[in-house]
Amino acid sequence: MQCAEALRVQALFDGELEALSAVEVERHLEHCPECRALTEELARTRARLRAAPLERAPPELRRRIGRLLDAEAGAGAPRRAAWRLPPFWQGAGAGAALSAACAAALAWLVLAPAASAPLLGELVGAHVRSLMPSHLTDVISTDRHTVKPWFAGHADVSPAVADFAPQGYKLVGGRADYFNGQRAAATVYEHGAHIINVFTFRADGRALPALRSRDGYHIACWTAADLQYCAVSDAGWDELQQLERLLRELSRADARD
Amino acid sequence: MPHLDAAYRFARWLARSPAEADDLVQEAFLRAFRAFDSLRGTEVKAWLFAIVRNCHASALRQGMQRAFVPLPDEAAGEPALAGTGPGPEQDSIAADEQRRLECLIGALAPEHREVLVLREMEDLSYREIAAATQLPIGTVMSRLARARAALRSQWLGESAGEPRAVR
Repeated sequence: MQCAEALRVQALFDGELEALSAVEVERHLEHCPECRALTEELARTRARLRAAPLERAPPELRRRIGRLLDAEAGAGAPRRAAWRLPPFWQGAGAGAALSAACAAALAWLVLAPAASAPLLGELVGAHVRSLMPSHLTDVISTDRHTVKPWFAGHADVSPAVADFAPQGYKLVGGRADYFNGQRAAATVYEHGAHIINVFTFRADGRALPALRSRDGYHIACWTAADLQYCAVSDAGWDELQQLERLLRELSRADARD
Repeated sequence: MPHLDAAYRFARWLARSPAEADDLVQEAFLRAFRAFDSLRGTEVKAWLFAIVRNCHASALRQGMQRAFVPLPDEAAGEPALAGTGPGPEQDSIAADEQRRLECLIGALAPEHREVLVLREMEDLSYREIAAATQLPIGTVMSRLARARAALRSQWLGESAGEPRAVR
């Protein structure tokens, strides 16, 4: 006989519960040994499943598909074809360059995680704290003209802020978080069931990895106009990077104004 | 090429033979490329998995697919199985366990295997899995729970040497 909360316990383990339900289920776990055992089993199973390195597509298959897509994109007119390719597919044929870039990124991750590790931990900590009841926002507004000026009085930086509701990223509000020795701006977006915190602080020349996951949360970092942006969420990579693209465009537009 | 490795891994679990997985991924990328303009939203990866899955389904329908799924009874407690794994590498305990685990995943029901693989190997959210499999989120959750329970009991049964009663 399984506990009635088993599915919610699984959802908590998978990082799929919104803050209030998460608190409820955590309380339940305190009183239910069966669900605690379930959580441990889930963790053990995951550790086993993720122990092996991920398999990669054979290079020959990569080349074959690259050739196929090149042919598909415009037979006999490679330059025009490349120009017409949507950004998603660009470099489809450039497998070698891509692998080299991946290798470089991997080397970076292996060789230099130490310097950025505490900061990434802080970011995830700040994200998780923000999901606790009534910690999410200091100023609640979907209007950038409310949120952006609010930061002027409460944070050391003025981040790019906009409501991207039409693109699926609704501006929820802003918050000031103290870390990395400064008052960082945290802009909060809602994407479907996911909350995304975008932390903005002065770039201090320390290189952060572009994409990183920690404790099941995804972190995307980029710099724009001397500011370091780090988006943290349990949303998928694609969703996080889409918001990154929108904010980068906004930073560029702001810089032109 | 974005997500090629992920699409290939997923295809490997669907097809159960490297050559079939190759064909599946190639067909899926071609379809994805042609349909890319129609993609709405940002869940590219889930969308691509859905296409791989559809390609697999149509290959099945056309009878091109040779089914190779080891039965749970054969996979469990069969010592000879350890010798049939891929690769000539030194048999370490880890590699051995990994092969056994792959056998057990292969022995799961296909509808359980796909949600498990998408969640644990590819780290997709419930919503992304729902999009990739065209299932309601509730079904994703219950299948995931069943897949994990089945894998767990198989694993315990096997590593204990003989099947053991699991609640």
